[in-house]
Amino acid sequence: MKQIFTKFSVLTFLCLLFMNAVSAQNITVKGTVTDGQDKTSIPAVSVMVKGTTVGTQTDANGKYAISVPANGTLVFTYIGYNTQEVAVNNQTTINAALASSSQQLDQVVVVGYGTQRKIDVTGSVASVKGEDISKQASTNAVGALQGKVAGVSIVNSGQPGKAPTVTIRGTGTIYGQTGVLYVVDGVWYDDINFLNPADIANISILKDASSQSIYGIRAANGVVLVTTTRGKKGDPTINYNGSIGIQSVTNAVKMANASEYATAVNESYKILNQPPLFPSTNLGEGTDWYKQILRNAMVTNHQVSINGATEKSSYNFSLGYLNQDGIVKKNNYKRYTARLSNDFQIFPGLKIGYNVTGVSSVSRDAPTSIFRDMYTAAPVIPVFNADGSYGDPSKLNLGNGPTSNPQATLDFFNQRNAKYKVTGNVFAELKFAKHFTFKTSAGGDFAQEENRTYTPKYYATASQNTTVSILGIDRIETRNWILENTLTYDNKWGDHNLTLLVGQTAQRYKSYTLNGTAQNVPYSTDGDLYLSLGDAATRLIKDSGSLNTADSYFGRANYSFKNKYLLNASIRADAASQFFGGSDLWGYFPSVGGGWVITNEDFMKDQKIFTNLKLRGSWGKVGNAGVPINPTTLSIDQGAGLIAFFNGQPYTGASVTTIVPPALFWERSAGTDIGLEMGFLNNRLSIEADYYSRKTEQAIFDIPVLGSLGTSNGKIIGNQADFRNRGFELAATWSDKTAGGLAYSISGNVGMNNNKVLNVTSGDNPIYAGGGGLVNAVIPTRTITGSPIGEFYGYKVSGIFQTPAQVAASAQPNARPGDFIYVDQNGDGKIDGKDRVSLGNPNPKYTYGVNTNFAYKNFDLTVDIQGVAGVDVYNGNLGARFGNENYTKKLYDNRWTGPGSTNTYPSANLAGGDNIQANSFYVESGAYIRLRNIQLGYTFPQALMSKWKVQKLRVFANAQNAVNLFGYRGFSPEVGGTPTNAGVDINVYPLFATYNLGINLTF
Amino acid sequence: MKIVNNINIQKWFAVALVSTALFTSSCKKSFLDVPPQGQQPAVQFWKTQDDATKGVNAIYGNLRTWGNVAFPALVIESVASDEADKGSTPTDATFWNLYDNFTVTSTEGSLQGFWDAQYQNINLCNQVLDNVPAISMDASLKTRYLAEAKFVRAYSYFRLVRAYGDVPLRLKVPAGTSEYNIPRTPKATVYAQIEQDLTDAAAVLPQAYGSTDIGRATKGAALGMHAKVAMYQKKWADVLAYTNQVMGLGYSLFPDFYQSFRTTHNNNSESVFEVQAEILPGNPVATNSQYSQVQGVPGIPAGGWGFNVPSDVIAAAYEPGDARIIGTMLFRGSTTPDGDVIPTTTPNPRYNMKSYVPFSLYNSAYNSGAQQHIRVLRFADILLMNAEAANELGNSTQALSSLNRVRARARGTNTAILADVTATDATTIRAAVYKERQLELAMESDRYFDVIRQGRAAEVFGPKGWKANKNEVWPIPQTEIDRSGNLLTQNPGY
Repeated sequence: MKQIFTKFSVLTFLCLLFMNAVSAQNITVKGTVTDGQDKTSIPAVSVMVKGTTVGTQTDANGKYAISVPANGTLVFTYIGYNTQEVAVNNQTTINAALASSSQQLDQVVVVGYGTQRKIDVTGSVASVKGEDISKQASTNAVGALQGKVAGVSIVNSGQPGKAPTVTIRGTGTIYGQTGVLYVVDGVWYDDINFLNPADIANISILKDASSQSIYGIRAANGVVLVTTTRGKKGDPTINYNGSIGIQSVTNAVKMANASEYATAVNESYKILNQPPLFPSTNLGEGTDWYKQILRNAMVTNHQVSINGATEKSSYNFSLGYLNQDGIVKKNNYKRYTARLSNDFQIFPGLKIGYNVTGVSSVSRDAPTSIFRDMYTAAPVIPVFNADGSYGDPSKLNLGNGPTSNPQATLDFFNQRNAKYKVTGNVFAELKFAKHFTFKTSAGGDFAQEENRTYTPKYYATASQNTTVSILGIDRIETRNWILENTLTYDNKWGDHNLTLLVGQTAQRYKSYTLNGTAQNVPYSTDGDLYLSLGDAATRLIKDSGSLNTADSYFGRANYSFKNKYLLNASIRADAASQFFGGSDLWGYFPSVGGGWVITNEDFMKDQKIFTNLKLRGSWGKVGNAGVPINPTTLSIDQGAGLIAFFNGQPYTGASVTTIVPPALFWERSAGTDIGLEMGFLNNRLSIEADYYSRKTEQAIFDIPVLGSLGTSNGKIIGNQADFRNRGFELAATWSDKTAGGLAYSISGNVGMNNNKVLNVTSGDNPIYAGGGGLVNAVIPTRTITGSPIGEFYGYKVSGIFQTPAQVAASAQPNARPGDFIYVDQNGDGKIDGKDRVSLGNPNPKYTYGVNTNFAYKNFDLTVDIQGVAGVDVYNGNLGARFGNENYTKKLYDNRWTGPGSTNTYPSANLAGGDNIQANSFYVESGAYIRLRNIQLGYTFPQALMSKWKVQKLRVFANAQNAVNLFGYRGFSPEVGGTPTNAGVDINVYPLFATYNLGINLTF
Repeated sequence: MKIVNNINIQKWFAVALVSTALFTSSCKKSFLDVPPQGQQPAVQFWKTQDDATKGVNAIYGNLRTWGNVAFPALVIESVASDEADKGSTPTDATFWNLYDNFTVTSTEGSLQGFWDAQYQNINLCNQVLDNVPAISMDASLKTRYLAEAKFVRAYSYFRLVRAYGDVPLRLKVPAGTSEYNIPRTPKATVYAQIEQDLTDAAAVLPQAYGSTDIGRATKGAALGMHAKVAMYQKKWADVLAYTNQVMGLGYSLFPDFYQSFRTTHNNNSESVFEVQAEILPGNPVATNSQYSQVQGVPGIPAGGWGFNVPSDVIAAAYEPGDARIIGTMLFRGSTTPDGDVIPTTTPNPRYNMKSYVPFSLYNSAYNSGAQQHIRVLRFADILLMNAEAANELGNSTQALSSLNRVRARARGTNTAILADVTATDATTIRAAVYKERQLELAMESDRYFDVIRQGRAAEVFGPKGWKANKNEVWPIPQTEIDRSGNLLTQNPGY
């Protein structure tokens, strides 16, 4: 009866609100929420009116104001603290001092299709607060996660506007979508470049298979859940975050100058019995191409948000503007974002709302080959000759190597990429029959991309010129939608805590690309850049598209007994259009997890060591549907390469040029995770350790087929590999406050991962990859049973030939003194492909980070250090040579110059003979340690601010990537790449540091 | 009352949402049935005459690929001879040297590249030969299409058998995985199949085509190719018979040797079979031949990469004034008859003139020289095969007649050079024919295998490193052996 009465009264009350909008019964209560121990204010504490959904949050200074019935009760909730309830009793000021929660009972984490108390989680889920991301003044939310989470490896490309590559616990799939799944407010994405970092409230990273398996179909590489900021109850709050920064190349590789270059080239010609190319090698410094092409570049970031809420609705509106110059001259990226979210409490129990984001970006791209061009360009070539013409390498007969003048490459490159995207979802959430919540959400992602490239008619050098201008336009349209319905039952009785979830999802992903080219398009303004202005006969239109659908059902049970014994189980069933018509339309992805909160046992009551001790274990399966549509359907090849010419006229050719497998099955991976969570000293020290092992079975893989089958691509798709990622993770945090008022936290994390291919159907035959960009099809990676995916392989260098006699007595009769000596592994007296061996592993074995925060009075300091170890990089830049490319200063200084000079570095004739073959000289450690972020902030005193009606004003200076330590002889050991061809450095964006000044302002 | 209303609304919403959920799941069947996007399923193909035409066209289109005309073809079929050197700068693409000095081993990539290209041709031929017979279409056109496919299949197997000896013989598209891996077939059997295909083709193919089909395989091409295949097996009577037939089909030597290789004289009176290549406006993918580009003069806009250059040996082999000097070699620092100036700074003294495309035809949107046709079989070759076969069969009169026709064209109006060969003994005539083949067919990828089949390789290429009982053939690509699970065997000596 009492419950019914309560409900009755609240409903009546709300109905009155509905009609009158004002309640005479309400009073406004204000107050400050502090930490009961150290008395510091706590921002973002949830302040709710008990028994209602009415509530607010404390501001940056721990203050709140709320309209509440004079006889109501306020509930203060915050992660890591015990929930506190205070009866209002007509008080207008209620200050709350929260006691730190000894068992983190109330800490809540976002998991798939819901939230869970941290204590109930039996898988491995890492949570990162939005402010940890937004305060880095980062251009990309994901990039800001680097080093924050154990086992999560992030490679930032550096290129403005390009999404970083995220790998969670090693390479999970090879084929199709090899990136993680991002779920933003329930909508699925492949990247979240469109999100303004300031709009992110929380990021949850699902690391183990049991947590991921509820996203079965797309979970094979891990899942990142993003929750965006919503309006907080109270007066409208206006936030402005702005920063301006400068980006500057760090760790530049020093190249040989003109005199050194000429000396080295002449030396290599002498070795080849050629007359010297340069009559005099006294040519001075010459051109420093990096100096010529690169610059210190500006980056500007503005974000404004307005949010607030009334009892019935909340809103959050934000605008973002990013203007980032690339470190390559002319390169620029601009991004405009607008996001609006609204929630409406239609009546108690029913909430509807929506999120919508519009984003537009425009990029003036850098030439794709410019980094390679700068590396290879000869310093003896002037940028411009005295007559104003471009310095031309062919005038000096430098051959097929350094053929480009990078300045000309830059000057005649005109590529503009524009993207527009509208995405979001609408949802309704109905709470009924006390324990049930039904939620339905429809999400959409509608994007258009235009990529326009124009090459004018020009003459710069013998290799950089055109006889016709060419305009190319690509238009890519994406139309995706996702529909989700979930029903949750949540109940707590006695010692039992039970949550049940059932759900259903339908998804559709469609993209369409239209590509047109035309020649002889005039150009005086961008308004001329229409295909129809080009020569009619040269206009060419191509298109392609893809369409996938999926239908899914899932269910989950979370049960805990006495907060001690935890049991979670879930299952998801996915049907994907890719497999339609086959025998394996449905994939089933179960999971189960158990936990034991040892500190809640009676026998632990008296111990003083652990504040929290929890053992958990889980097992789950996830899938990958990232294969072509109907992969077993043979299709016709009507490629332009099959066009026949008869008497000069073209005729369409078409035939079958591929083979397909008779059947293809879901790729499934099963993973186990065992974790231990520990809290010491009233949770000032917390430690989380995980062991995991995940085996991907029947991985979808292309394997090479016999050339005599005559296919055009030489491969067949199929379920043809098993591989495993196994590792260990450790994360520890120490946070405390000294008597002197210094509050600080120090956390460290380390992840260790071993990737191993257990089986490939091609048997002992490697799957080679990695020829792209390297000269003469040098292939430095392979995937083979027993080794990590895409390991480096090639010849093992045992030294340098010193004398002709040594050559004559060797297995390399064609070698010259100064060339690499390769180990004759099979001892057959000759060096050939059979002597190639494993040379290194591009998959990082260790990733680690140290993140620290210090706050003292009005100052705050953040220092984040991050690194990887146990990883190798293939220095493709160094080894890819046609001839007279420039040399690094290091190579020049250390080169072999005659018998006895060195047994490590080759002669200047680096391009000669077998020196360019993939070998151990080019495989280097990719380990690095980096001062990822250092930030110093000052928050102006409250007293000063209230005079200006400002809630908070903070200024900060930060530096990202300011210090990078590594032994690698290239620009950056962060190389990335596709799973079977990772870590090959051929055209990598140089590392740069960003120095920002910024402010955070709240009204 | 209001409360009741609210509860009703709640129920109504619940019903609406649940029915939405049910509705979305109820249309599952059609929802998941998504056809391939932008790809025509093969089951819809091979139904009409138009499909047959496209299938045959594809065979010709594929003859321009990198593996058929560029690096892999040039290292396998040309650079190892005494007439060609690697070219370009000394450090560029040094793997060419492994072929040039006979140190290549089975893992070198171009071995697979050339192999793959030939089998791609063969697959396209087999697709037609398997599928076109069932198509309801014009009967005589169908017969001709099958004959065209047989011609190209024979040509591709001939290139394979010369390069590798015994090779897997695929005469059908594999029906399933059990037919993927097959062993090598003895060279003699492969030759027999090549001859069968060419016999079949010659019986059907027309002597000439109408203007929309010029470039397709003709009766002359099938007979001429058959003659060459017979010559490699020393079947002299067949060589003589087939070449005699070709000589009755109306071919003639093009008067100007240099001009006969220019794009202005594609498919001229001397052309028995040539690979058709053009610039297709706006379509760089169809304009894909790199035959000229890889051999073009490096360091100039309309040039190329400078590989496969005429050697000192071939440069010294001609009598001064021979029209074939200018027709075969493009000299550093010279001006071509088309008026193009070759800089004195190019890294090599000579380039292949037979692949040269005048610079005025250069368009930067495409591979330079992509429109150059590749002369696979010329009437001059037919005459020289005829001469050699006649001589081997003791008919010196016919031998000299055919041989001297070739010399006469090279002589032009300069009567002081290239006197008619008048010797009557077989040995002298044989030597003269060999010499004439060297001069006439230089830089056309004939010389290397020609000298081997003449049995003179040890003598001619020995100084470069050629070894008997090994270098008659190249190694089987190691990756292919690996993928066969060692079902394929390696050639002796590798």
